[in-house]
Amino acid sequence: MIDPLPPRAQPRHQWWRSLRDRLATLLITAGGIGVVVAMLAIGVFLVLEVAPLFLEAGHGVGWRELWQPRWQPGTLPGETPSYGLQPLAWGTLKAAFWALLFAVPLALGAAIHSALYMPPRLRSRLKPTLELMEAMPGVVVGFVAGLVLAPWVDRHLAGALALLIGLPAGMLLAGLAWMRLPPAWRRRFPLGWAGLWLMPWLALLVGAALWLSPWLEAMLFGGDLRGWLEVRFGLGVSSRNALIVGLAMGFAVIPGIYALAEDALSGVPSNLGEGAQALGATRWQSLWKVVLPAAAPGVLSAVMIGAGRAVGETMIVLMASGNTALMTLNPLEGMRSMAATIAIELPEAVPGGVHYRLLFLVALALFVFTFLVNTLAELVHARLRSRYRRLGGMS
Amino acid sequence: MIGRARLPRLEGGLPWLAAGSVALSLLMLAGLLSLLAVRGMGHFWPAPLTLVTLEDGRQLAGQAVREERLPDASGRERLYLTANRDLDGAIWTWVDLEEIAEESHPRDLVVLERTRWGTFQGRLLALEATEGRAEGEAAWTALQAHLKELAVLRAERDRLRDEVVVPLVRRLERDPRAETELERASARIHELQARIMGGRLLLESVDGRRLEQPLEQVLRAWRPNAMSPPAKMVAWGRGVWRFLAEGPRAANSAGGVWPAIFGTVLMVLLMSVVVTPFGVLAGIYLNEVAHQGRLTHLVRIAVRNLAGVPSIVYGVFGLGVFVYGIGGSLDEWFFADRLPSPTFGTGGLLWASLTLALLTLPVVIVATEEGLARVPDNQREGALALGATRVEMLTRVVLPMTAPAMLTGVILAVARAAGEVAPLMLVGVAKLAPQVPVDGEFPFIHLERKFMHLGYHIYDVAFHGDDVQAALPLVYATALLLVLVILVLNLTAIFLRHHLRARHGALPRR
Repeated sequence: MIDPLPPRAQPRHQWWRSLRDRLATLLITAGGIGVVVAMLAIGVFLVLEVAPLFLEAGHGVGWRELWQPRWQPGTLPGETPSYGLQPLAWGTLKAAFWALLFAVPLALGAAIHSALYMPPRLRSRLKPTLELMEAMPGVVVGFVAGLVLAPWVDRHLAGALALLIGLPAGMLLAGLAWMRLPPAWRRRFPLGWAGLWLMPWLALLVGAALWLSPWLEAMLFGGDLRGWLEVRFGLGVSSRNALIVGLAMGFAVIPGIYALAEDALSGVPSNLGEGAQALGATRWQSLWKVVLPAAAPGVLSAVMIGAGRAVGETMIVLMASGNTALMTLNPLEGMRSMAATIAIELPEAVPGGVHYRLLFLVALALFVFTFLVNTLAELVHARLRSRYRRLGGMS
Repeated sequence: MIGRARLPRLEGGLPWLAAGSVALSLLMLAGLLSLLAVRGMGHFWPAPLTLVTLEDGRQLAGQAVREERLPDASGRERLYLTANRDLDGAIWTWVDLEEIAEESHPRDLVVLERTRWGTFQGRLLALEATEGRAEGEAAWTALQAHLKELAVLRAERDRLRDEVVVPLVRRLERDPRAETELERASARIHELQARIMGGRLLLESVDGRRLEQPLEQVLRAWRPNAMSPPAKMVAWGRGVWRFLAEGPRAANSAGGVWPAIFGTVLMVLLMSVVVTPFGVLAGIYLNEVAHQGRLTHLVRIAVRNLAGVPSIVYGVFGLGVFVYGIGGSLDEWFFADRLPSPTFGTGGLLWASLTLALLTLPVVIVATEEGLARVPDNQREGALALGATRVEMLTRVVLPMTAPAMLTGVILAVARAAGEVAPLMLVGVAKLAPQVPVDGEFPFIHLERKFMHLGYHIYDVAFHGDDVQAALPLVYATALLLVLVILVLNLTAIFLRHHLRARHGALPRR
């Protein structure tokens, strides 16, 4: 039985409704397009601001001037400005390199562990926790790195280096000890929860390394590691150095890489890994030979996005590196990154001047670089999704 | 889910390194948070004052800060905060542990917080005021009473100056009647000032040097060694309150952070007022109105990628477009009489909010889009089939279901904006803003003024102060406050999202 149709609405009312609909659609369209255009205008604006640098005569800045190993914007009177972008680019890449060197293994390790071994309930708790880590403001991380960690490492250089070797060794040691445990104990400390129960053990190791380090330094380096480095390798040590920046920025980059890599790994259709295990592979073998190759594009895009973040991060580099425009390979000396240079120098630059436009050029370079890297990551990721679709189970 | 291996088989060491990296990441996060919590909250605890007698008979009173190995590794030395900058010229003293003959905690040691020269640590000998001279224990009770009275008088004076005199001075040009009122107010201020001035304290440092201290420069006094734990708790609570409610003193190296809290909150509020409607509009447009073709797809990718563009680039854009571009033109059109000193042509609250709004737009757009994608298409089709227009379908059916997702997006945007400092350094943050951007004067919110910001406060105090070591506790406290605010915001967003997933289930993305 069909209900009779309701009486037709009044034509006047109908007209008002359709008018309202059109107006609202127009508003949404205008607003949406406006916002999108405004956002995309950032790149266009930067290009417009930079263009006079090369087009107008008399600025005296050509490609050759930009390719110099000296950045000295000439803020002091009587100083001839020298606008070589080399040291800035070098500093940026150096900071990003050390950050990634520290962050990528940790983030990927964490992603592998949580995608493969962790019980789902624990994993659903771990993800938001690491998200909180990502939300830590850069100035707080930079402050802790620059004013707490840097002087501390400066005083306990040997201890800090001992930690670099001691922590991985400690993890392996824990694994070895676990193998020797009776099965009842092994069940009580399952590998899936190792992320939690290893924490006190690692904390203990940190304590032990610090306690032992003066003794180690005395034994191996004659009580003066700094001098030993200087004499043996000619390495200068400054307290705010690339290692500190790498550590602090790595801390900021880990959660981002982790989240994307974990998504990629746990998105791999489960029948692949299960098939490998049914054929007798261990979990680690199935990960290494089957799951990781399948998820490789996702992992790669995670690392790329992490690299984009590390290149553009301002406050951490500003506060934890000495901001000296050096060009050395030495990880124990400071550097000056592009983003930090903008933050320091742009407020003082004269609008429209050469220095001002050059800083805009630096900003444009950052913009283009991160935009390209992210787009590339997105494309790689899209390939991953279509691959999963092909492989069967749709994530 | 990959099946669990029943038989424990040898998998080598790499799984342990993977497990260890989870543990290490969590350990670093826990370490950072507990460092901030312990040092930030410990700052307000009235630490005991140690009277140290050295082998050679010298004495000093101070709070132990930390210990170090001596450079030649022969022993250890300890750093004491001995204050008394006016007597010693420095506030820190390193003491070799082997030189210490005796340590004690006499109950009569006082700590005075002063407006000049920082804190004083030592003994109170006498108090001279208009009603006479008090010595010993009586001086201490008299001092407490005087300080209470002084606080009331100071508050009254500051209120008069800020709320009566300053507006009157501004009115003076137009309104001749203001002059008599102004005279009355300033007479009252002079009277108050006269009552504040006058008292004197006779102080003695533990090594016997005497000092006359004008009473009006003393803000607070306490005897940490004589305080019971409950009294210390009360003092701690008051300290936290003062930190939150008072303005900074002594070039930001002491006092509270109230203007920075106010500036941060106001800026973030303004930003969310801008970012919410535009972000939601753009999200709706991209997902519901625009033709879903190749172009829309590209735009969506571009928007997502803009979230990864470094924040400093947004700052550069804000400086070029908002401050020098729009702000400069506004100045020429409307504030030409004030040129060359810029009104809108310099960094300010409005430009900072707009820059951060641009910075956080992708966050809101992406969150809105995800929320919209979760609404099943049959809901939309059902609404349209019942004769609803598109707008009715959106406002009555789709948007109510998406609201929590949008809220999550806005909260995440706010959390990101609250912690962002780099772009603000270009578009309007100040290390010390004399005027809060909101006051009783028309138009009440002054969008062109510079403002203080918690994050920038951290950077400024930590890197531009004279004595970083002395300002460190304050930086810890500020950092803790900022982190707490951001953690609470993020936890709210996580909770909301969890709630959302539980209600709608995980729907496939496009």
